[in-house]
Amino acid sequence: MTKRLFYSPDILYLCTIITHRTMKGIRKRVLVSFLSVVFLLFFAGLVSLFELRRVSSDTEEILRASERNLELAKEMLDAAALQNKAVVHNIVFEQQGYDTVLRASINRMAQTMEIVREEALDQTYLDSLSSAVTDVQRLTQKYIRIQANRMSAKTIRLHLPADSDSVHRVIPMNFDGARWYAETYSKAYDKLTGSIKDYMISTQSSLAPQTEQLKRNAYRSVTPVLISLMVMIAIVVMLYYFISAYLTRPLLTMNKALGDYLRFGLPFKVKAECRDEAAELKERIGEVIQSAKKAKAEQR
Amino acid sequence: MRLNVVLRYVGIILLVIALFMLLSAGVSYANNIDSGFYPLLLSSLLTALLGAFPLIFVDRVEQFSSKEGYCIVVSSWILACFVGMFPYLIWGGEFTPINAWFESVSGYTTTGASILVDIEALPRGILFWRACSTWLGGVGVVMFALLILPSLGTNKAMLTNVELSPMAKHNYHYKATMIAQILLLIYVGLTLCSTLGLKLAGMNWFDALTHAMSTVATSGLGTKNTSIAYFDSVAVEFVLIVTMLLASLHFGVIYATITGQRNNIFRSEVTRCYFAIVAIVIVCVTLSLYFGETYKTLPEAFRHASFQVVSLISTTGFATADTNLWTPVAIVLLLAVSIICGCAGSTSGGIKVDRFLLAIKTLRLRFSLQQHPNAVMRVRIDGNVLEDKVVNTAIAFIVAYFFALFAGTVIGTVCGVDIETSFTAAIACMGNVGPGFGEVNSMGNYAGLPVVVKFSSTLLMLLGRLEIFGLVQLFFLKWWK
Repeated sequence: MTKRLFYSPDILYLCTIITHRTMKGIRKRVLVSFLSVVFLLFFAGLVSLFELRRVSSDTEEILRASERNLELAKEMLDAAALQNKAVVHNIVFEQQGYDTVLRASINRMAQTMEIVREEALDQTYLDSLSSAVTDVQRLTQKYIRIQANRMSAKTIRLHLPADSDSVHRVIPMNFDGARWYAETYSKAYDKLTGSIKDYMISTQSSLAPQTEQLKRNAYRSVTPVLISLMVMIAIVVMLYYFISAYLTRPLLTMNKALGDYLRFGLPFKVKAECRDEAAELKERIGEVIQSAKKAKAEQR
Repeated sequence: MRLNVVLRYVGIILLVIALFMLLSAGVSYANNIDSGFYPLLLSSLLTALLGAFPLIFVDRVEQFSSKEGYCIVVSSWILACFVGMFPYLIWGGEFTPINAWFESVSGYTTTGASILVDIEALPRGILFWRACSTWLGGVGVVMFALLILPSLGTNKAMLTNVELSPMAKHNYHYKATMIAQILLLIYVGLTLCSTLGLKLAGMNWFDALTHAMSTVATSGLGTKNTSIAYFDSVAVEFVLIVTMLLASLHFGVIYATITGQRNNIFRSEVTRCYFAIVAIVIVCVTLSLYFGETYKTLPEAFRHASFQVVSLISTTGFATADTNLWTPVAIVLLLAVSIICGCAGSTSGGIKVDRFLLAIKTLRLRFSLQQHPNAVMRVRIDGNVLEDKVVNTAIAFIVAYFFALFAGTVIGTVCGVDIETSFTAAIACMGNVGPGFGEVNSMGNYAGLPVVVKFSSTLLMLLGRLEIFGLVQLFFLKWWK
């Protein structure tokens, strides 16, 4: 047997041999069976935990993406609003202190746009958003340049004659800020806020397939647990059948046969299904009966 | 009937299946742990546990009865299909419970019909598992266990008798162990040669192996949405045609040819009849396609006709063209070969050429007996007189086969499926062919069919694979006593 085992490449055959060698005792068999059920229970629990964690992390990811999208949209809207406020203050009230705010808001918008470009889930509206931002930035920068030129022109005018042609050529002194704001800037601003809203809506819509995926993941997380439980039910049914066939039934049969022998003197005949303690018990009862018969015969 | 003995041997077969699932998980692991790894590993573990459990209690038995043998074989097939759906179910995607069951049964029975709309979306691990299940099913799950388990001892003969087609046994003149070895030799040899051939024809190693496994098993489960049309290569088609033809021949006859024995391919009456049918149908379909202006040139018509005819008669079901668009004559001929199918003792399904030849000879005999009522005439194949029992069983099988086809068609039409789809799907599933016509054409799939039709189709596949009587016997309560 050792030689055959050594040369056999068949792992399953090896497993069979091992189970034959070790699974003789009832106690061992029952123990291994219960351990299998316990393992499967533990395993089902583990799978369930693992899958639920995955679903949870997916949900968290979707929520985080949605939150981030709102954050970025808010940041862009804030930057645009600040820029608009600064432009208005500059034009209407001619408050030069808002130049710094204007530049800061341009930078803020540029930085936010950069982040949006990197993190955008849906690229559909990114181009129109980018173009709207560029338009507003270009207009704002143009306005800053004009303002700077006007300031320097004022300074130059203090030193040059007022009717100098060169000053009028370089700096448009007839620049109407309010009109420029109403006709050019506010349109670009509206376009920008519209694009930001579109971006916000599109990103939220792009989360829809992920949510659908989440639904599928939820199904996937339940399936392995259900299958594990199904296998466990099959194993428990088999365990019931085997315990009934290898433990309960032999004991009941032996009990009945022994009772029949003692009460009516019927022969003790029990069929053994396997070579375990139940079979040994049957053999020993048989031996006791034989020795009792022998002793009776000797007494006679 | 000892249920514990049945459970023990079915358990061993489940362990073999678990081993293949683990192998597929290995493929998945090698492919950067794709999304199929975890479902395959989990399924392998659960199947192994389910299979190993009876071994704890049930000792090895020296001999089991023919009833127990039948029960082991049929239960093994059903349970193999059942556990085979675990990886699909856990992976998810298009696999609902009925779809997973359909795909699993289709794989094991080597039908090759699919419910998948996008096959290319599957990870490599799952694709390999599909190929493995079909490869295991091709040789027969129980036969495969016989090949690798020396511990079955004298019980091998019993299981071989049950697993092998009754018609196939006539051409084997060896002991059960030898038959199993011949099967293994031819099966593995054909798979390796086909893999190499497909690789040389331009496929990558993975596609070559999976397609070779699928072709040798005459299954037709591919890795591409457009089947073999995806490759658009004459070399690939040629390799596949040769492999399909060889896989649909009796393995014992192939072995006899290789070893130079008398009952070889060239002498076998059944094989000659098979080749004659293939040749005649190819010529007819080619001419029909050419004159029907489906294809502009004769070589093109011949190329597609030869591939489709061999694919359907061998019950493989690969496709290079949408046969729905072919001429009515070509469609009828393709349906006819989908019913006749390959030789007994091969991996193909259907009625089989052996029975077809026997039925034709019986008809001829009947006509002769009407002319000469006192004549003593018997049906002969390869010069051997066939017993009445063999003839009657074959005729009964053909009758039962058509009855099952009728039942399948009725179920389909009752569920609202059109008659063309219902009838051809029944033929394709019963013969383990795969593609039919209508909605389930060579470039289509079974995804759109109602749940009841999908389930009845799986029953037809199992009926066809287990040659009707094996499966039906299991449902007779008296038989269990």
